[in-house]
Amino acid sequence: MYEVMCFVWVNFPNDPKVFDRKYWYLCPFDGASPGDRVIAPLGRHNRTQEGVICEVRITEDYNAPFPLYLIKTIRRLIKAGRFNDNNSFNAGVTAAMYKIVKKRILNPTVTMMDIEAPLVAAKGRAGQFIILRVDPDGERIPLTIAGCDRQDGTVKIIFQVVGATTMALNAKAEGEYISDFVGPLGRPTETEGIKKVCIVGGGVGCAIALPVAEQFHKLGAEVHSIVGFRNKDLVILEEEFSACSDRLTIMSDDGSYGRKGVVTLPLKEALESGEKYDEVIAIGPVIMMKFVVETTRPFGVPTTVSMNPIMIDGTGMCGGCRLTVGGQTKFACVDGPDFDGFEVDFDEAMARSTMYADFERREREESCNLFSKEVE
Amino acid sequence: MAIQPKRHQMPVQSAAERAKNFKEVALGYTPELAVAEAERCLNCKNRPCVAGCPVNIAIPDFITKVKEGDFEGAYATISASSSLPAVCGRVCPQESQCESKCTLGIKFEPVAIGRLERFVADYHNANCAEAPSVPQSNGHRVAVIGSGPSGLTCAGDLAKKGYEVTVFEALHVAGGVLVYGIPEFRLPKDIVAKEVEGLKALGVDIQTNVVIGKTLTVDELFEDGYEAVFIGSGAGLPRFMGIPGESLKGVYSANEFLTRSNLMKAYEKGSHTPIMHAARVAVVGGGNVAMDAARTALRLGADKVYIIYRRSMEELPARKEEVEHAQEEGIEFKILNNPVEILGYKNEADRRDPKNGFVTGVKVIKCELGEPDERGRRRPVEIPGSEYVIDVDCVIMSIGTSPNPLIKSTTGGLEVNRHGGIIVDENTGATSREGVFAGGDAVTGAATVILAMGAGKTAAKAIDEYIQNKR
Repeated sequence: MYEVMCFVWVNFPNDPKVFDRKYWYLCPFDGASPGDRVIAPLGRHNRTQEGVICEVRITEDYNAPFPLYLIKTIRRLIKAGRFNDNNSFNAGVTAAMYKIVKKRILNPTVTMMDIEAPLVAAKGRAGQFIILRVDPDGERIPLTIAGCDRQDGTVKIIFQVVGATTMALNAKAEGEYISDFVGPLGRPTETEGIKKVCIVGGGVGCAIALPVAEQFHKLGAEVHSIVGFRNKDLVILEEEFSACSDRLTIMSDDGSYGRKGVVTLPLKEALESGEKYDEVIAIGPVIMMKFVVETTRPFGVPTTVSMNPIMIDGTGMCGGCRLTVGGQTKFACVDGPDFDGFEVDFDEAMARSTMYADFERREREESCNLFSKEVE
Repeated sequence: MAIQPKRHQMPVQSAAERAKNFKEVALGYTPELAVAEAERCLNCKNRPCVAGCPVNIAIPDFITKVKEGDFEGAYATISASSSLPAVCGRVCPQESQCESKCTLGIKFEPVAIGRLERFVADYHNANCAEAPSVPQSNGHRVAVIGSGPSGLTCAGDLAKKGYEVTVFEALHVAGGVLVYGIPEFRLPKDIVAKEVEGLKALGVDIQTNVVIGKTLTVDELFEDGYEAVFIGSGAGLPRFMGIPGESLKGVYSANEFLTRSNLMKAYEKGSHTPIMHAARVAVVGGGNVAMDAARTALRLGADKVYIIYRRSMEELPARKEEVEHAQEEGIEFKILNNPVEILGYKNEADRRDPKNGFVTGVKVIKCELGEPDERGRRRPVEIPGSEYVIDVDCVIMSIGTSPNPLIKSTTGGLEVNRHGGIIVDENTGATSREGVFAGGDAVTGAATVILAMGAGKTAAKAIDEYIQNKR
């Protein structure tokens, strides 16, 4: 077995000690080409320096130009011409913008995007989330990470167009930039010691459930997935789910696709038939998670839910995302977003999520001309 | 020449006018007023005011320069000690620091040092276009976590000594509490932006959208070649009282309320950030943050705003000027009152009633002052049976914060106290881990801007010594 890797030969023209030498590095980012600038560790103390790529070699690991156990890794790749100010590296970093590398429409209201954010991609794990702002005066919205490509340095997000911000995000095209993207935030989903798991996803929550299912699959656990949608047109990620699930059940509210009914139906059947899950993980609308918990409670199966309350900073400062879990105040951004489903006060969480319902309705009406247009 | 016993008043917007806008309350001295106030200074030999300043500004020297009309010279004197003079002139509790030590204050009103500092900084910002020269790099790199008052001060001091400083900020804009916490009418955001630009001009690199403890860890900063790290990550999770009803709709932490208004600009017309424009608001707590929240609620259109505080006016920890301004604007102080429950609307007949779950009032119990506690403040004692209800539709909890857990949970060898504050050597800011220093609210829990700046300054000096001795 071998792996194909990307190596780059880097020169550091600004460093008086080594300006005449070149060093080989491993490049974890995709699309490196000669002339691109990089930030790379240099010398005994691994001081990061700005350098320029002289040569790119993509080859098998056994053909590495420098011993693999000694080679250092590029920390950041700055594509030439990405910023107007080509001469100043600092200008590029401080004016950091996050590129939409790929955009795919999953269904009429759900979109998937790959966003270039190498630092987040290097760390992000299933269950964690990011916060983004589309424009410099926009609001901060949390979105769960749907996948990370450490090689490309991109983070996958999947979102439903529901409010002004997701509308603005959806209006962006491939190749355009968004102004802020920070993460990974929250705790990753616990996977230790779980051999058999049932993942229950509802609607756009399936986007968050997928990386969790993939993670368990990769770790060798038996994965049963139950995903539910309102109707056939809204079904997303079917292929991806079937690839990582030992058993996949698709449900639709109206029976237009898969089985008719809600997700708790097959879950209850499975539990009654004696399926022994180490854990059930429910991700979707709060009401769905509430009923999943009510289904599993009589069987005593540990059940984890992924909460998505209103959030601003996402780093444990504002306290807007608080929930009552086991009678205690918890903060989804630093204590979660995963919580023990048996302990969460769902009714309170549902009530709190409607705090700004009025404001959001007005915002939607303002941003959509259809509402203001008189019917002729 | 006879000493004028009273200090010169600073022009302010009238209370009726300012209660409806977010423009700065105080308008600042004119040059004439500044010179006249400076002339009150006795320029005493023992300089007690300097000892009262956490960053030891050479106060009599800068006041002498003001007297002479050399305002730029006065600015140079202040900025030798302080990285953020325009900010400090506005938000420092001078009455309990430099001004409390003023010799003049023994018989008369002390010299208005804060107002003079503010005047000098504003004069400089308005009249000086000259960029400061970038100091020669000494080749050493230092990472600063957090761009609040302690982080910016530490970064500024190190940059002046030639260090290459990178500041990591979790939010999308630099300034920390100066941006998300303190409202526009008390500290205009373009003043903060100007101070930050000043640091950038000194060569400080500011990286927003990086959460240390998540995006990068302290260990990775060392791997990246930073020789020392300063943690100024600020206060963390807001505290709640643990009384029934705190999860109702219309209950905010002061941090959330102020963040929505200040950082996310919910106060501006047409903002995309929702915030409750409540008619009747109760703010629980008596610190500067409580005053800021109350006055913000008023400006967002509230008819009636209460401050609920369990001790008496004497114990109010807020800056005196803020309390006075709040009272002038019509905010009512319900002192010796402590909330016991927050009441909400509940329509049993119609569960879909949109008003369900919103706050309708706060039940409080009256208190009297008992024995002093370990800090010498008299403890409030509840009077049984004295509960009553104040009708409000919004409650803002402003009873402090506990330090942010993100850094300590991902940094090995960093000791914290039982409140979660990072343990440091007071004289140096050094933590239990080599090369890591800390200061500000991350160490002390919620405190003031100037104390955080003092800590940033102390740490900058210690970091310099640490790196120079290491070689």
